[in-house]
Amino acid sequence: MNPVIIKAIARKEFYHLVRDFRSMYLAFMIPLLLILMFGYALSLDVDSVRTVVVDHDKTEVSRDFVRKLNASSYFEITHHLNDSSTAVRYLDQGLTTMAIVIPPEWTEDLKADRTASLQVLIDGSDPNFAGISRGYITAFVEAYNRDRLISFLNRKGMEVIKPPVDGRIRVWFNEDLDSRNFIVPGIIAIIIMIVGAMLTSLVIAREYENGTMETIRSLPVGGGELLLGKAIPYFLIALIDVLVAVFMGQVLFGVVMKSSFSLLVLASTIYISVALSLGLLISIATKSQLVANQMAILITFLPSLLLSNFVFPVGNMPRIFQLLTCIIPATYFIDILNGIYLRGLGIAHLWPSYLVLVGMLIVLSNIGFALLRREGM
Amino acid sequence: MPGYANNPPRNSHFPQAEVPAVHLQDVSKHFGSIEAVNHVSFHVVGGSIVGLVGSDGAGKSTLLRMIAAMVRPSSGTIQIHGLDAASHKTGIKPLIGYMPQRFGLYLDLTVEENIEFFMDVFGVFGAERAKRKERYLGFSNLLPFIDRLAGALSGGMKQKLGLACVLAHEPKVLILDEPTNGVDPVSRQEFWGILGQMRQEGMAILISTAYLDEGEQCDQLVLMHKSRVLEVATPEAVQSHYSSLEEAMIHRIQEVDEGLMHEQFGL
Repeated sequence: MNPVIIKAIARKEFYHLVRDFRSMYLAFMIPLLLILMFGYALSLDVDSVRTVVVDHDKTEVSRDFVRKLNASSYFEITHHLNDSSTAVRYLDQGLTTMAIVIPPEWTEDLKADRTASLQVLIDGSDPNFAGISRGYITAFVEAYNRDRLISFLNRKGMEVIKPPVDGRIRVWFNEDLDSRNFIVPGIIAIIIMIVGAMLTSLVIAREYENGTMETIRSLPVGGGELLLGKAIPYFLIALIDVLVAVFMGQVLFGVVMKSSFSLLVLASTIYISVALSLGLLISIATKSQLVANQMAILITFLPSLLLSNFVFPVGNMPRIFQLLTCIIPATYFIDILNGIYLRGLGIAHLWPSYLVLVGMLIVLSNIGFALLRREGM
Repeated sequence: MPGYANNPPRNSHFPQAEVPAVHLQDVSKHFGSIEAVNHVSFHVVGGSIVGLVGSDGAGKSTLLRMIAAMVRPSSGTIQIHGLDAASHKTGIKPLIGYMPQRFGLYLDLTVEENIEFFMDVFGVFGAERAKRKERYLGFSNLLPFIDRLAGALSGGMKQKLGLACVLAHEPKVLILDEPTNGVDPVSRQEFWGILGQMRQEGMAILISTAYLDEGEQCDQLVLMHKSRVLEVATPEAVQSHYSSLEEAMIHRIQEVDEGLMHEQFGL
């Protein structure tokens, strides 16, 4: 390994990178867009459900119910409508997510000790959102019932019945159940795969396609020098992207790391190297930019997104997919990042994941090296 | 690999020497059952141009690639300045400048960045770097285009840039595989002008070509056909009593083909 040659290759590769618009776009714009999209638009939390109310009853009690609904932070009443058909139209046109219809004589039913029904219509086209909305309204109605029951018993001078079981739920590690806390680590893992593996999957294939591989082979450049030289510019870009993601997570979303920054940099360094070796390996094996790019999407980007416990919980997957997640580098990296971000764990708890990533790095880079050697490098 | 930068000083009286710059001894190469090069022996001394001529598919490119240590011979030995090409692959690369048939320049790099890459790899830095850039780009009349992207050069200019790049580490042996194919006559003449200059400085040059007017400018011709060397001689000797080199070559090749027909079918 001659550092002069590695530097020569890295410098040339850097020129290629900055002159290629698509690469630059992938390297800098896509990470920014991903952070903003996942952070803002694709937030998995439901802050408040947009609701329209049709109050046919129009009594003090029904108005009080609506007031309480609006006062809760889970619902945002956008319109008061006069009839159900308008409410349905609002749902149809996507102007609202939930419609609550209070039937006539609702208060009378309540007072007469009959079950007073309340109609709730929820837009189910987004099942995740609909499920959360249903949970919110169910909990709200239950609380309303309990309040009414208690005040009724109080008025009658009877002893207040305590609920037999009161589940006290406390969420650990992500106290506010804020999905952004979970998304930032996942995003970092995805960005590294895009920059690391998808971009580098092109670099050796490009030399083959342009006929410059023959030139390289005629020079005193070894396989290791070629791989390392090509990896360096992409390594730096990926590291910059990680720092930008961490910074944006902190500034825009207030996602603060609980554990040490150096552990994050160490994990990122190893994981970037894994992604780079994977990308280079694909590039050497396919020798075609088009095929390499498809392969990279298929075996690096998609599994990192789908099978890494980031978007879809591994626990709910069929057994075969659960086993598959064990060979995906992103699984271990996200595990480390969650430890660092959410649990404040140190190296004492995280070292097994670090070790797996280092193992993957050694295996992948050696395969790539062996393939290049077979090509006569 | 230290020491690339410390090439011995250029010597216009290169020893035309006891040890030839390139020495081939009974070299063969086969890919599976296909014979590409069949028992070839010849040598090239410093300060001479040896032209490799012959029909397409005669094995010229394979032969040149073996000499450039890109592929190993199946049998026989190739020595570059006394070093065995197969076993001293890294050692001989600084001695060689090899320009493949489809020479890949980096089209998104400028003329200057291309030649700088070659000098980077060979560790040519400092004052020497500026001097060589000036010299070899100057040879090729490329100095006015130093900031132009290689992709924006004409075919002839690209080949001259390629030559400048492989010369930049000042090799002792230059191996060129049909470098002037499809290049306009003026650029070809300029190209050969550079080769002439390098010959004077003592370089050993091995070039394959399809143009027989170029063959006439060589000191020696190696005439290849169907993986064998038919003749190693001066252009004059190859031409012998024929009116042109071309006629002489066609005649020689036809002779061999007829001979093979007799052998195979007993005609």
